Amino acid sequence: MFPLLFKYPSTVFAKGHLVFLSRWPVWLLPLLVVLAVVGLGALIRYRLRQIKPYRNETPAMTHRRAWSVWALQSALVTLILLLLWQPALSVAELSSQQNIIAVVVDDSRSMATADADGKPRVDGALNALRGGVLDGLNKRFHTRLYTLDSKLTKVDSLNGVVASGSATHLGDGLQQLATETADLPVGAVVLLTDGSENSAGLGGSGISLAAMQALRNRRLPVHTVAFGSEKPLHDLEMEDVSVAPNAVVNARTIASLTFVQHGYANQQATLTIRDGDRTLAAKSITLQRDGVMQTEPLFFSAGEAGARTLVFSVEPFADESNAKNNALTRPVLVRDAKRRILYVEGEPRWQFRFLRRAEEDDPSVQIVSMLRTSENKIYRQGISGPDELADGFPSKAEDLFAYSGIIIGSVAADYFTPAQQELIREYVDRRGGGVLFLGGRQSLSDGGWTASSLNELMPTFLPAGTNHFKRNAAVVNLTDAGVASPTTRLLEDPQKNAERWRKLTYLADFEDPGSAKPGATVLAEMSSGGKRMPFLITQNYGNGRTAILASGGTWRWQMSEALGDPSHNLFFQQLLRWLVADTPGAVSVNTSARTLSDTGHIDITATVHDKQFQPARDAHVIAHVTGPAGVDAALEMKPSQETPGLYSASYTAEKAGPYLTEVTATSDKDELGRDTATFQREDGVAEAFHTEANPKLLDQLARDTGGSAWAGNNLKNLPRDISYSEAGISVRSIKELWNMPIVLVLLLALPLAEWLMRRKWGVV
Amino acid sequence: MKLSRIALLAALCGIVSAVGIRAWQRVGNFGFGSDDSPSNVKAEFYWSRLSYTSSLSSYGGYGGGYFGRSSWARDYPKADRQFLIAMHRLTRIDGRPYEQVVNLDSDDIFNYPWIYAVQVQTWSFTDAEAKRLHDYLLKGGFLMVDDFHGTEDWDNFMRGMRQVLRDSPVEDLQSNDEIFHTLYDVDDKMQIPGEHYIRTHRTYEKDGYQPKWRAIRDKDGRIMVAICHNMHLGDAWEWADDPYYPEPFASMAFRVGLDYILYGMTH
Repeated sequence: MFPLLFKYPSTVFAKGHLVFLSRWPVWLLPLLVVLAVVGLGALIRYRLRQIKPYRNETPAMTHRRAWSVWALQSALVTLILLLLWQPALSVAELSSQQNIIAVVVDDSRSMATADADGKPRVDGALNALRGGVLDGLNKRFHTRLYTLDSKLTKVDSLNGVVASGSATHLGDGLQQLATETADLPVGAVVLLTDGSENSAGLGGSGISLAAMQALRNRRLPVHTVAFGSEKPLHDLEMEDVSVAPNAVVNARTIASLTFVQHGYANQQATLTIRDGDRTLAAKSITLQRDGVMQTEPLFFSAGEAGARTLVFSVEPFADESNAKNNALTRPVLVRDAKRRILYVEGEPRWQFRFLRRAEEDDPSVQIVSMLRTSENKIYRQGISGPDELADGFPSKAEDLFAYSGIIIGSVAADYFTPAQQELIREYVDRRGGGVLFLGGRQSLSDGGWTASSLNELMPTFLPAGTNHFKRNAAVVNLTDAGVASPTTRLLEDPQKNAERWRKLTYLADFEDPGSAKPGATVLAEMSSGGKRMPFLITQNYGNGRTAILASGGTWRWQMSEALGDPSHNLFFQQLLRWLVADTPGAVSVNTSARTLSDTGHIDITATVHDKQFQPARDAHVIAHVTGPAGVDAALEMKPSQETPGLYSASYTAEKAGPYLTEVTATSDKDELGRDTATFQREDGVAEAFHTEANPKLLDQLARDTGGSAWAGNNLKNLPRDISYSEAGISVRSIKELWNMPIVLVLLLALPLAEWLMRRKWGVV
Repeated sequence: MKLSRIALLAALCGIVSAVGIRAWQRVGNFGFGSDDSPSNVKAEFYWSRLSYTSSLSSYGGYGGGYFGRSSWARDYPKADRQFLIAMHRLTRIDGRPYEQVVNLDSDDIFNYPWIYAVQVQTWSFTDAEAKRLHDYLLKGGFLMVDDFHGTEDWDNFMRGMRQVLRDSPVEDLQSNDEIFHTLYDVDDKMQIPGEHYIRTHRTYEKDGYQPKWRAIRDKDGRIMVAICHNMHLGDAWEWADDPYYPEPFASMAFRVGLDYILYGMTH
């Protein structure tokens, strides 16, 4: 229809520029147009004024009619003036028989999915090509056929194309095409795909910047042909799993599972975490609306030490169209190195004894305690040798920083010298350790901590004055943050857990810690005599964390609950594990990815500190990588030029499976420390995810490169429109517009309309 | 009065009393530490003397003179007070200056994790009392027994002890055991006699010639019952201010007592 009126297809108008072929200056045209229009208007006005109507007679030519005549006449004059300047379109066109069109077919496994009409997408692509597109292209151009999955491959004919590729990397494939054909006159690219790109992360756009740059440099337009339906009919897909890469032995760990479903709204589904054959956790949840990303937390016990590969899955329904995208695997490293905590207590009290007893059952944490039994005597327990803590609280950084956490009991602030107080602050801020303050006779505000320099470490604003420690009963309840936190989880079910806390026996004493600071989290509150106060408050400070447990009377939870009730011990074990879990060692390893999908390249970085926990500049750092099927490699890690203490190495994992990296740092024959990290490589797993078509990606790609997006069933104009491209061997052709049918029609229609109107009004 | 008004009044009384009972239940449970009167001193450590049912309770009963007092109250309260003076002076324990008497009739005993009992050859337990003491020890309570002498006393003591802890073995404490080194290093131990020593110059009573320092441990190896057989620490504390009672005995008695308390508060 469009070419009928406008002589050229719409692509020409979209891609072409308007030019005037006449040699007269272009600025004259608008000037003349304005003069003509104004002149006509003036003429008509002059004439209008001359008309004096007789009485009792309406004039034949009213003002409105006059001005409509004026409009028609001005349009005619403008059109003729335009035509005098010889307008034309300048558009680049591919020369016939001199250009190559690259036809790229996506043959990854997602193209094998059969959509609503039952036929696989790849069949639709091949039928479209065989059904006329290739022939149409071959009339004027040479065609080159390629298949694309994780990389681009040239094929000779369409006969061998089977949708079996293990991954889709559209951006990389197009970039490869652009560079491979750098010396060939490729005029355009036709891409037949469903758009499900595997290298897109959660919410990423998929096509990398480098690929777009390569395409734009060669001015290659990509004409995308989309296949597949956008919405899967019945599918439940696991989008992402977020779980900490390291855990302490037997620690209660939390994992966040994010998933999306279509067609199963409001039904029940089961989330599970498996380690080999063992099920670590299972939870039943209700699915939300279609297409909404749902995140659920799941708690599980880390179990024994070792490098484990955990499978996080949602049980597939029987009629799911794709059951392979319901599970994701993540490597988790469970460490059993004993974390040592320094506990400073100023007076013998029951909380000290029951806390020590609670931690004796936890093999991953050891308490090294110093207790002031009399004015001048300190009783040490848990020490590794007679020299440890022989001089009291450590005054040197390398002694104090060796501990993973510090507990300060009923100790007045002035028991610590100013240097020791500064050391404690550095311990939290720089070294990243954890400090727990317990309520007591000489703790918090009653111990002069408000005025000390460590007041900024406290997670609360300590109340003014003293006499806040009271030996009265107080009842504890969880806050909302405490219900969700793994630290206060005594029972699996959150509701039952909150109930259990409500029923816990009262505390023997309490101390008002004040109000929580803005960045702090209050996990539990206590109330006594009608007054509510925070009980357990935590916050992050610098690289470390601090917490207050505002009571010295939690021992009643052990003595006054039933025999065998684990509440007291479990609570302290979890609280102290939280205190030390994120304390970094002297060496801490990071990998650029934890799961490699179909690619092997990984960057390993290690942060190395010396004994004072300053960055170690001259350490000798080795990464030892072990993998499946006997893979074993030792890599020397190079120090970074910009950041002191940072060492890095690259590695390529060839085979699929779990890998373990152990990094050891030594300096002058002294071992500074070692750390371990795990990662895994999966092949072919990513292709099962995101199998729904992604036409938005293809639209974006076509638009950014100057091509057009086509639908799979409407390709008859493709061979014609594809020739308008600036790539390859193209010629700028000038297409004249004066003989457009619409122009001639207008030249006829305008005067005819005016004459008809005048006849109707009786003026002519 | 009209029937409806009686009903209304009854309902009102019912509601008020229910609220009152509920309120009392919430507050009335706070037995420990709820007495805020000025005469009640609250502290971290309460010296707790166990008042048990004596199997010789027909022996005179209350107020019948020295022999009439119940056996659990031997040396009470002077021994307790003197000991607490020493504890206050020599340690940083926040202890109440006067003693507390506890018994096995209610769950109140669980509020006092360290208890002391004397003349334990006369003790006997009902089933409920034995269960309570058993739970107390297994949850983390510490019991120190003192002032019983000779083989017959030992058998009677063990009869009561076996009602509470059926299978736990009794072992002798060595000199290098941690319990003798918490506050003071008590290496050379001697037999500490009661106040009869002033008259008889004998350190033993009945046929308890050798002092037996014994203990019962829990499954983790921590001492939960500390047994002082064939000695009388309580008298040593009580008569420490008597010019005729030898000072070495009194000092050692104080040192051992404080070591035991500190062991109980650190293990």
